[in-house]
Amino acid sequence: MIGTIARILLAAFVVGGTCLCVNAQQSASVTVSVKNHRFQPAEIHAPANVPIELRVKNLDSAPMEFESVSLRVEKVVTGNGEGIIRLRPLAPGRYEFFDDFHQETRGALVTK
Amino acid sequence: MCLNMDGDGNLKKIASSRFPRTSCIALIAAGVSIAAIAGSSAQGQDGFYDVETKYIFGFTEGSGVGLEGEKEFSLESIARIGKADGRYWASETKLEYEFTPNQYIQFELGPLVSTHVIKDVTDLENRNNLAMSGFFGEVRYLVLERSASSPLAITLSAEPEWHRIDETSGARVTNLGLELKVNADLELIKNRLFLGSNLLYEAEGTRDPDHIGAGWEKESIGGVSAALSYRIIPSVFVGAEAWYLRHYDGSFFNAFTGDAIFVGPTLYAQLGPKAFMTAAWNAQVSGHDVEVPGSTLNFGEFTRSRAKLKFAVEF
Repeated sequence: MIGTIARILLAAFVVGGTCLCVNAQQSASVTVSVKNHRFQPAEIHAPANVPIELRVKNLDSAPMEFESVSLRVEKVVTGNGEGIIRLRPLAPGRYEFFDDFHQETRGALVTK
Repeated sequence: MCLNMDGDGNLKKIASSRFPRTSCIALIAAGVSIAAIAGSSAQGQDGFYDVETKYIFGFTEGSGVGLEGEKEFSLESIARIGKADGRYWASETKLEYEFTPNQYIQFELGPLVSTHVIKDVTDLENRNNLAMSGFFGEVRYLVLERSASSPLAITLSAEPEWHRIDETSGARVTNLGLELKVNADLELIKNRLFLGSNLLYEAEGTRDPDHIGAGWEKESIGGVSAALSYRIIPSVFVGAEAWYLRHYDGSFFNAFTGDAIFVGPTLYAQLGPKAFMTAAWNAQVSGHDVEVPGSTLNFGEFTRSRAKLKFAVEF
């Protein structure tokens, strides 16, 4: 029984691992800033289906937490600091994000 | 019979001879909670943003695996209530630490605490105890993610457990189990209405439970669920779910011993930016125990009802 279960789990993780690695050859980089608790620009663009390096610059003195349910990431960025978030290859679409410390601060990443 | 509110805000009577009074109490309590939260909700705009679906379906789990970098502590209690006779209450609480190291995988682990209040139940000893009852871990892996072109998301989960207290009787045992699930959900209306479904396979073994030198006693459960959850205000989901469960002796569905159908309401409420609660009540509405010919409910392997309550804080 344990052997069968182990094989099922191994197969699931091998398939998943393949999905993670298949698009590792290309990547894109985008930057968004936060100033006066507003994302600048409020909408950023990136190519679909390639890994994305998202640089978040916090130009306010207060810390912020970049968060997105659809991107499945959260990261605290210190005041006057910056953070780098590595995103998986995304299907074409619109992915909303916000500052979890100031929830009215909202923006979106659009992939095409 | 109990009262419920329809979509226009009118109170309606729900007649159900098999719907227990306790379910009505749970529904009313859920309604009061929703009203309280709705009253305190101060959303300036429509506020129906993206939502994590893992906990919005009650006992049915959604596909969510959390956010990379997110950590969470929660108390999750599941109570099983009522047998054919006497007084029966058994609960198990997970003191759960959950973390998401990347955008596909989530881990959970923690100790288990159980309570048993058993009096005059056939085939069970009277008991009244509270104990550290074991330990669990869980790994969840997102195999299909939702996108603009596909409203379906699917996650696989595996949950090994060790118990030193028998979940049903409360007696000291050595029990090992593994629960495998397919957690799927479908977004029917963007950020508002979701359909969830689980496929369940659970195998467990208990070493010599009757202390007669009989070795490991093995059993398994298979199940399927369907749940609908609607977001009535930005911070609150209400819904209903149904579970069909089949119990077998043996690890791989070897000998069928009985089945049961549970149905009931569900509630999910975001209590703040970093806190939420979820509650569900399932009542057994149909069942069959192969050892009780003609039975219409199954109290051999299942209980009259079950309840779930979870409070979680993210950090």
